Parts: sequence; structure tokens; C-alpha cells
Amino acid sequence: MNISEKTINNYKVLSLRGMLNASSAPALKTCVAGFPDEQSIVIDLENVDFLDSSGLGALVGIARKKKASKAIMKLARMNERVKKVFEITQAHTLFDIYDDVSAAADA
Amino acid sequence: MKTLIVIREQEYAWLRDMLPGVHPLLVPVCNKPFIEFFIDFSIFTGSKAIRIISDGLLGEVERYCENGSRWGVEISYGSMQPADELPTVIDKNRRFCLEERVLIIKGFLFIHYDKKRDYTTLFASLPSGELLSCCHGSITLTGTVKPESSSADIPFSLTALDTVGKYYSLCMEILRSELTNYVIPGYSSEADCYIGRNVVIPKSAEIKKPVIIGNNVQLLANTVIDTNSVIGNNVIVDRESIISGSIVMDNTYIGEHLEVKNKIAAGNLLIDPESGTSIVMEDPHLLTGMTQSRAAGTLLRRMVHALAATFMILVLLWPYLLLRPVLGLQGKWKRVRETYYNDLPGKTVTLTKTTIDSDEPLGQLAKTLSLDRFTLLFRVLSGKLALIGYHPVPINPALRIIPNNTTGYTPAVFSYAEAEDWPEIGIDTEIVEHYYAVHGNPLKDIAMTQKALFNRNH
Amino acid sequence: MIFHLDTSTGQSVGIVTLKNRIDASNSSELQKVFTQWLQQASVFIFDCKELDFIDSSGLGAIVSCLRKALEQHGDLKLAALGPKVSMIFELTKAKKLFSIFSDATEALQSFSTVGTK
Repeated sequence: MNISEKTINNYKVLSLRGMLNASSAPALKTCVAGFPDEQSIVIDLENVDFLDSSGLGALVGIARKKKASKAIMKLARMNERVKKVFEITQAHTLFDIYDDVSAAADA
Repeated sequence: MKTLIVIREQEYAWLRDMLPGVHPLLVPVCNKPFIEFFIDFSIFTGSKAIRIISDGLLGEVERYCENGSRWGVEISYGSMQPADELPTVIDKNRRFCLEERVLIIKGFLFIHYDKKRDYTTLFASLPSGELLSCCHGSITLTGTVKPESSSADIPFSLTALDTVGKYYSLCMEILRSELTNYVIPGYSSEADCYIGRNVVIPKSAEIKKPVIIGNNVQLLANTVIDTNSVIGNNVIVDRESIISGSIVMDNTYIGEHLEVKNKIAAGNLLIDPESGTSIVMEDPHLLTGMTQSRAAGTLLRRMVHALAATFMILVLLWPYLLLRPVLGLQGKWKRVRETYYNDLPGKTVTLTKTTIDSDEPLGQLAKTLSLDRFTLLFRVLSGKLALIGYHPVPINPALRIIPNNTTGYTPAVFSYAEAEDWPEIGIDTEIVEHYYAVHGNPLKDIAMTQKALFNRNH
Repeated sequence: MIFHLDTSTGQSVGIVTLKNRIDASNSSELQKVFTQWLQQASVFIFDCKELDFIDSSGLGAIVSCLRKALEQHGDLKLAALGPKVSMIFELTKAKKLFSIFSDATEALQSFSTVGTK
């Protein structure tokens, strides 16, 4: 899985490409751990082909840590494949989900 | 022009309690699912795309409306947090709202409109801002303000839906005076009488207008459908019974010699809209729900599964007949009977789960040939199980969401999780099984069964 | 089910307090014990304020009690029907067979006015 990073306003925007599963989830966690705790982030899921429970678990873990440090974590651009997983696990209630990266990186 | 529909779960939670089994947004108003009124209205205002946003589950709504091609609009779905206010929701859907004008319908309310009016031109000229509001919601228009804007009169109104009494009076109001304003399902040769397909009405039955009757309805001898009644789909009204000023929801059986007056009958629930009292009827000959049969589309699938199962039975018959007695005598063949959820809502199936000790060559051979599933193959022929699908879920009273065919659950001999070599319990299993239930087809199922047979031995 | 006799109106009125549920499990019991009560009175009031639910066998039992009382030139009146029980009476048109009062005292008074005539 590929993680490309850019900064918009006060947010670090991480665009993921590929599969977010048991083998690639640690890479995402390490990447986020590389920023200070109070750094707000947006994770762009548009090019995620596949998401399983460990990928979802990684996202939930990041969300929890950010909330504890009073930082903001948002998700942007859910595609159909990712949506299915969120629907079954009812995880959409845990995140703020935007359909546009610049909107997410705005407030 | 686009439409954004924003409804919070707490706004329709009361309807979920009153009428369980149907998603509140799909509850029929005069036999037309609630959400369809919104879709119709959006189309009349000239919208090309609609997005439905809620903090609750929209799966059932999504399965019903799909991508909107049925109405010629693009329908998409989004989520929100319960605490989100309208500006936040608009932000979260900025890409969608990047159009010139967006009509935002917020709240669980009913919009009274008239299909005969030209809303497209009207909406093109209305000023931006909140057009109408009531305590439970509002209709807003966003986008650039047209220069020739003036506060035009608003030819539509709102009714908040927050109690079953309001729902009932809304249905009655539409029945009495607004039927021609909406696209109501059914055939109608007169203004206030709509009847669906496959409706059986004997000579002795009496029907008084205004009335709406759905599809597959059977009225038996001497029944009376008095004024202001709505009968849903798949309803049977038994002899001598009288339905007056009442709403009979889908899949309901009404017994003989009964009088349903100013009530809502939904399956085995009888509801008095005025007081909000609802009783669960325990007598099946008074009032009961009708079990839905499996959809026709799955018939092909079941035939293919049955054929494949027959093939497997024939191939494995000799090994089974030879190995089963031997292993049974050796005590290596263990059987447990357990009850599992079936795919039809409310039904269960009792299966014998077999485990084979495979420490010795004979046991290993039996396991390689999947002989422990042999007896279950016969259940595929009788239609109780699928060949490949979900692993059967044992009855568990603590389960929050009971699996049934509305979520795609089909208990089977082999599971997709086995085929894909995934762990057999837990969330990953659900994800795989759900994916293939949605994206599968009968031929793919055969391939997956072969994979399952292969994978079980590695 | 609790039975007691009330003579305040000048005639013996059997007041029966029905509790909880009358359904297939106890409806025949009600009919049986009613024949015993018939020996002590011919006019009855079924006080239903603690009755939560009846099904069709319970309804059938109460209707048969009415019939038996009428055969003895008596009567059976209902008092304090809860909303759920009332709906079941309405549904089966059984409501039309009975005089129904909002509480047992009112039902009792209806007997006394008859007595003074």
C-alpha cells in the first residue's frame, strides 16, 4: 500500500492507495505515529481497493489516539468497496466522513 | 439542481418502535414507501441527483432505491454524526453540493405538494435560504441568489411526523382529498380508487371509496372495505370481516368476523393511532403476519446449488457408505444437533454438525473428502440450506441483529470464508461472506465450493 | 381471579377481579369456577382493571360466562377495560355484547337504579 502525504491548512492529508489490510495497517500506524500527537489528519480513502477488519481497526485506533490528544481526524472520499465494510461493522458512526478532501481540511 | 435529504435516526426512531420489520424511511404512506415521495418531489423540482444522509443505518433503503436508475435520478448515500448541524453536513458533502442550487430537506417530515404544478420553473426562481420550517425540520435552498428573486408564495407545505397518530391522520388526509396530487401505486379508473395487480374480490365483497388496495390481495366472502381504508400488499381479509378507516400494512392476515375500525394492522400488531396503544396479537386466526417467500431471483441459484449437491452426493456416496460405519465404530464420528437461524425471518433450521477425528489415515481420508458435510448435502436438495454461503449462525438470544435474508444471510453447507481461507468466526468472516453474497452468482458459487473443498484440507 | 359478593345495592352482585391474563392456559378454569359462582349470584361484574391481556380463548370464556348468566335471567357487565383488552373486544365485535363501565363502582350503581324501579 502506498501512502502519499501533503499538508493543507493545518491538516496532514494522507492519501492511501492499495489495500489496507493486516500487512499494510502497521505501515499506516507508523506513519501517523511519526507526527506529533496534536497533529490533525485527514485520511483520503478514494484509492483504497480493499479494507478488512485490521485496516478498520487501525483507523479506529488512530481516531481514538487523536481524540485523546484533542486533535482532529477525518476521513475523506469513501468509495463503494470501503463503504461495504463500514456498513457491516456500523463504523460510520465513529468517524467524520467528507466527500471532498479540501472540505475535510478546511475547518 | 440537486437534492440533499438529511434525516437523523432519533427523528424516526419512534416509527421503528411502532412498526418493527420495516425501515422507517420505507414505511408506506398510502401504499407508497415514504422515501419515494421525497424522490418524486425532488424530480419535480428538477433535481438530477439525490443524496440521502443519516446517522442511522441506510442499508435497507439503499437496497430498495439502489442507484436511482428506476426513477431516472442518481441516488447516493452518506453518513453523518448525530450531533452534526446542517452547515457541517453541507461541508461533509461539499463535492455533491458544488452545483448551482441544492434543495435540502431536513427532518422526518412529509411534504405536501401537487404533481400537477410546475416546480422546476418555480425552484429555478426562488431565492436561497430557508423556505419552510416547522419544529421538526425544514426545507432550504442553497446556491447563488437569483437577481429577480422576490418572496414568492410557497405552493407546498410540511407535516412533521413524530407520532403514529400523525402518520395515521396524514394517510387519511391524503386519502380523502390529496390522492391526485401524488403518484400513487395501483391502477385507477376513478379518482379515489386504486387497486393493484392480482387482487381477488368476490361478488359478495363490498368496497367503498376512497380506497387504496395493493398487490396480491385476497378478499374473501362478504368482506366489507369501508371508506378511507388502505390495504397493503400480500394481504388476506377473511370472511365477513369489516375494514373501516384503517390501514392494513403489507403481509397481514385478518381473520373471520372481525371489525378493524380506525386502526393500523401490521402483521400481528394492532395499533390504535389515537392513543398510540399497540398490542401483539397471539392468535393466528385473528391477526397475523404472512411469511415472505424467497425472492424469485434466487430460484436459479437454488437449482444450480441443488444440481451441484446431487453431483457431490453421487460422487461421495461410496466413500461415505464405506467409511462412515468404520469410523462410527471407532468412535471417531461425532455428531451434535443444534438449531440455527434460517434465512427466512423468524425461521430456524436444525442441523447435525459432524466432526471427524482425523488422526488416523481413514479419518484423514474422510475429512479430505468432506464426508462430515455429506448429510448436509441432502438439505440443499430440500431447499433448507444453500451449497455455499454463510456459515450457519446458532440461535443466540443475545444477538442484537438477527441474521436473515434481508442482510444476504443464507446458511450453507460450506461457507465463503472457508473458500477464501479466512478465519471462521469474527468480523472478517462476515465481511467476506457479505461481499460474496452481494457479488456472487450461481456459477461463481460452484467455483467457490471447489475452492472450499480444496482449502479445507490445507 | 378473586370473587366476592356485594349486597350494597340490595341484590347479590358477584364482583370478579380478573388479574394479569386470561388465555388458553386458564380460560377453561374461569368457565368452570363461574358455574360455581352462579350458585351464589346471577348478576356479575368483571372488574378488568388489572387485566393486561386476553386472547380469543379468554374472550370466548368471558362470552360464555355472559351467556350462562343470561340463561339465569341475570347479567354480566364489564368494568375498567384497559386499552389493549378494549382493542381486542372491539376487533372481535364482542364489545357490542356487553355493557361496559369505566370502573366497578359505576357498574354497581347501574344495578342499583334497576333495583329501585
